[in-house]
Amino acid sequence: MMLPALVILAAISILPLFYIIWMSLNNLTLLGGTGISSHWTGLGNWGLMFTDPGVWAGWLAMVIYFIATVGLEIILGLVAALVIHEVVWGKNLALSLILIPMFIAPVIVGLLGRFLVNPTYGLYAWVLRESGIYGGNILGGSVSAFVAVVLMDVWEWTPLVALITLAGLVSIQPQILEAAKVDGASYLERLRHIVLPSIAGIIIVALLIRSMDALRYFDIIWQATNGGPANATKIIPLRLYESAFRFFHLGYAATIGLLMLAVSILVANLFTGILRQRGLLR
Amino acid sequence: MTRRGFLRITGAGLAGASLPWLAGCGGGSGSSGASAGGREWKRFSGMTINFISENTAPTSAIAANLTPFKKLTGISVTIQQLELTSLAQRVALDFGSHSGEYQVIYADPYQVMAPLHDGFTDLKEFMEDSSLPSVPKGTGDFIPTQLDAAGHFGDRLLALPYDAPTMIWCYRKDLFEKYHNRMQEDLGFDPIPSDSSTWEQYYRIAKWFNDNQDDVPYGAGHQAKQHDALMCDFSNVLWAYGGDYFEKGQKVGKLGTTDPGPSTLDSPEAIEAAKLYKKLIEIAHPGSTSWDWNDLGEAFGAEECAMCPEWHEFAAAWEVGSLKGNIGYARLPKGPARSANHYGGTGIAVNRYASEDQQKAAWLFVVWATSPEAQLMDLKSSVGGGTPTRTSVYQMPEVKHNKNPLTNMPNIVTAPAVLEAWEPQNIGLRPKIPSWNQCDTIIYSQVSQMLTAGKNPEDAMRDAKIEIDQAVKGVPSAI
Repeated sequence: MMLPALVILAAISILPLFYIIWMSLNNLTLLGGTGISSHWTGLGNWGLMFTDPGVWAGWLAMVIYFIATVGLEIILGLVAALVIHEVVWGKNLALSLILIPMFIAPVIVGLLGRFLVNPTYGLYAWVLRESGIYGGNILGGSVSAFVAVVLMDVWEWTPLVALITLAGLVSIQPQILEAAKVDGASYLERLRHIVLPSIAGIIIVALLIRSMDALRYFDIIWQATNGGPANATKIIPLRLYESAFRFFHLGYAATIGLLMLAVSILVANLFTGILRQRGLLR
Repeated sequence: MTRRGFLRITGAGLAGASLPWLAGCGGGSGSSGASAGGREWKRFSGMTINFISENTAPTSAIAANLTPFKKLTGISVTIQQLELTSLAQRVALDFGSHSGEYQVIYADPYQVMAPLHDGFTDLKEFMEDSSLPSVPKGTGDFIPTQLDAAGHFGDRLLALPYDAPTMIWCYRKDLFEKYHNRMQEDLGFDPIPSDSSTWEQYYRIAKWFNDNQDDVPYGAGHQAKQHDALMCDFSNVLWAYGGDYFEKGQKVGKLGTTDPGPSTLDSPEAIEAAKLYKKLIEIAHPGSTSWDWNDLGEAFGAEECAMCPEWHEFAAAWEVGSLKGNIGYARLPKGPARSANHYGGTGIAVNRYASEDQQKAAWLFVVWATSPEAQLMDLKSSVGGGTPTRTSVYQMPEVKHNKNPLTNMPNIVTAPAVLEAWEPQNIGLRPKIPSWNQCDTIIYSQVSQMLTAGKNPEDAMRDAKIEIDQAVKGVPSAI
């Protein structure tokens, strides 16, 4: 009975996977304009990739970007969820306003961010300059540009983490919290001993969802900095995109993509392992 | 957004009626001109062809006035305008699948034509077909350097020149006049851009503005973002100092090749150019390292700097705003070798994978869209338009009369500067090679590291040379 669905699923996911593995074992290119030319290289692309300093630099930038964005999103999302959970009057309005960024297309977030920090007319650039906080060119320095794209990503996706966390918070039985209050537990004590343990699984799910996204993030950085300055923001998905669609080296791009898939699977298994350990996954 | 998309959105260009297009008005002597309306134009009546283009001002002008072509030929044209990188992808996939979906292609010489050269039809096939209209006034009417750069790949003619953006020296004429005497006294030379102006003088002028006036925040602005714009800006200085990307680089840029030989970016001239370029950016507007050509155009228009090397088409936006009549245009300064003015023009080409009839219908559109009449229409269009690629258009009386700064054809104000920039000794041509996209990325990444990450110019140029040599051999890498 499940066979037709399985056949379709295999056709749309497993067959392309085998094709991309085959691509990674060939020197496949669109250069020339005569069609896709290929010749077998075996593990040639893989060897090239593991010795390519550009790939390692991309992964290093990726790791830092991942830790910064996901880390900030989890912390800020949790704080936002806790705040919204405590709001009595206007909770729906507050929630709606907080969720708006995640409905904006990432490419627009990148453009918006770029305009807001533009030295000529950007509002944020002007505010930072006039207040004396930062007078330099935000997207012109390696560190400031990196911080800027991290903050753009955090601005967009913190609401998602807040939403997921809020779903966990509303599932905590209020009687337990009331009982703790009656027993004299402070807010921080209730948070530490009741709330956080109760929603730990939910936070891990949020972490898992955001991790899968962050590992392949492209739009914001491409629009805002194009990977610069000096490749400071050129995380691995940008390098994959350029290999495939600017340089037309499809085989090499497939190799990079497969490594990204492998890392994503490892990360997903890490989080599901934690969930299993906590008995939240059967 | 590309520079041309910016111009279209800001409404640059003449506010006024476009030229009425009359089919059947008598063509040029002895040739089937675009307006001749003969039977050879009607052979494919009823057909629909697709034109894929970068979102450029000339294409916007054409798209707004397709009725004359329809009347002339009976052919419907659907135009898809995209950002250039997306266009290159679509064309690559079209050629890869042999689908022939886009019969007419905006063939950027460096990002589309060179990497995908075998997907285009040699236009000489159509020119030698007596049943098809010929190019009005012949191909000799196109500016020669442009016909080579935008049209040829090797010995094949793959496109006809369609647009011609070129980098020139754009400066605030009013400020140069205001401070002229003081500048001349302090600097020891006449600062007004001229044939004798050098890049060293440009540097000193920029510094003078930084230190001695408050009309604009900085003397110079540049397009030095880690982007194709940075390669374009840097190349002007590279060539002026006698450096180049490959030996016989200008020949590689003119006709294109699949084998340019080893890169010459490690030459003393190239390293000297890199040192000067770093010096220029150090005193330029700090926004320069995050500006592409659009951002620079906006900054100059917002009076953030007194001068900049910029694509001449931005004049159309500046000359309709508060700076109208106050901007001067000249060819770029010279270095020890020459003045080099980066040419960024493109031609339109025919897809080899379209059917024979579709290719011939596409040829009719190519001939019409690059005809003198179409280029004059472009120049006067209220939705954009570009600078003509044909010599005869510049000789037309109504064009000659509109070269003054208060013209209602803002696209022509830069004509004296660009006509000089297109001379063979002044034009700057980047390499037309299949692996150019990869080389381009290498160049601007290394130069960006030189400008913002403290890499010294020698190391940047030598590392770029090593990576470019690998790229030309077809070795993939994640730059």
